[in-house]
Amino acid sequence: MELLKLDIDSFEERIFKNGENCLVIYSRKTCKECKIIVPMLEELSELYTDGSFNFYRVDVEEQVPLYKRFPLKGVPSVLFFGQGQKLGKLAGMIEEEDVLEKIEELY
Amino acid sequence: MEKYDLLICGAGAAGMTAGVYGGRARLKTLILEKGVVGGTAYSTRELANYPGFYAEDVSGPFLMKQMAKHAERFGTKIIKENVIELDLEGDTKVVKCKKGREYGAKALILAFGTEPRLLGIPGEKELRGSGVSYCATCDAENFEGDIVAVVGNGDAALEEAMFIAKFAEKVIIIVIHDEGIVDCNKVSAEKAFKHPKLEFVWNTTLAEIKGDEEVESIVMRNLKTGENTERKVGGVFFYVGLVPQTACVKDKLEMNRQGYIITNEKMETSVPGVYAVGDCREKYLRQVVTAAGDGATAAVAAEKYLEEVEEYEDMLQEDKKILLGFWSPLSQLSIEALSRSEQIIAEYEDAAKLYKIDLSRKQMLAYKYEIKEPASFVLLSKNAVIDTLHASNPDTLEATLRTWLA
Repeated sequence: MELLKLDIDSFEERIFKNGENCLVIYSRKTCKECKIIVPMLEELSELYTDGSFNFYRVDVEEQVPLYKRFPLKGVPSVLFFGQGQKLGKLAGMIEEEDVLEKIEELY
Repeated sequence: MEKYDLLICGAGAAGMTAGVYGGRARLKTLILEKGVVGGTAYSTRELANYPGFYAEDVSGPFLMKQMAKHAERFGTKIIKENVIELDLEGDTKVVKCKKGREYGAKALILAFGTEPRLLGIPGEKELRGSGVSYCATCDAENFEGDIVAVVGNGDAALEEAMFIAKFAEKVIIIVIHDEGIVDCNKVSAEKAFKHPKLEFVWNTTLAEIKGDEEVESIVMRNLKTGENTERKVGGVFFYVGLVPQTACVKDKLEMNRQGYIITNEKMETSVPGVYAVGDCREKYLRQVVTAAGDGATAAVAAEKYLEEVEEYEDMLQEDKKILLGFWSPLSQLSIEALSRSEQIIAEYEDAAKLYKIDLSRKQMLAYKYEIKEPASFVLLSKNAVIDTLHASNPDTLEATLRTWLA
């Protein structure tokens, strides 16, 4: 399932106002690793269809102000949020297991 | 298992060219790609020397998208699959993918490509994505106003350093060689030396990357003095060469010490029906243009191989005894021997059949029956080898044939 793309308004709404437990993958079209990791997350997201944990995506080229909001040093980067707080981060070439472990650890 | 005529692992320049040729030869062709369609060339902003594409605005992504369209236009399919295991033992080669799907074909072209080499220094793995990067296109703009280090001195290192300098305040280039020596092409090297934001540090390697959450500083070691220097940087980009992504065929194919697959000029590997192309094979020049050449060669070789396999399978359907006659237009002896055996076989046409194999064009059966030279014959009965002989003496040949056929 394709991940919902966030813009500055929907980010504000879901992450800060609603305080959703979720992850956000920051990616860009020209990045090779992103093209491996985004589909991996798309598949993982199907394990969480009950709404307890959500998966989102930010295209850093389309959403420059949103990208600047958290100081990231590269793509792909995955940020984990809950109760309106940034709880954790994974960066670089990550595997399915890394994401599952992080979710286990944080929520 | 989904069956194809030709499977290609990897959708870079080599794999997609093979896809163009395979599709055009009307082979049912499938390309499997785990990441980006376009391979290494996809992350090249400027392609300077792919013949015919010289305009300023020809980028890697542009050319690679064209190649993908080209392959697909001829009927080749490109799908997203992560190949994890290959079974090369049988006549049908089986490709196993991460999600459990399997694909099979009698001919297989491996276009695995390469990945960046890791130096394995402290901090490199831990800070990957948090300041350590292998892709300037992806990450350079995160270093607006920062000091950034680039490790390496080849084409990619210097060209990418100049790109990073569009954002960074200063770029430190760490070069292992003596002052003034770089492995980069002259045009880019001259530009880099004159660039006001680039600072070259000679005779030096990177020893460590420091930082808790993100890169904060680097430790450089001077090879002449042995002295370590620490500098504050916001990021480190690595361009220290590439390694072939051939782990899944280790011990299954002949490789060199660095893990590059060894092929002959037809791109054949040590296993018949399996070809290796592009950056993952041992070769002199790794460029889009040579990758494309490899792909074309392998696809044509695979097409011929598949024809042979088909002929062979038809032959095995025969009830008659079979005589395989290996000849070559360059061997007069083989031409005469073949002509003689043809006359003899004609007398027994209800019981036996002759298959002529031109060794200069076809090697599959020669490989299978370990035939090294022309004017050799293999006698088969019910698919079993009864005898193998060389026709150095025409009389012996005739006598042996008659005894066998009688």
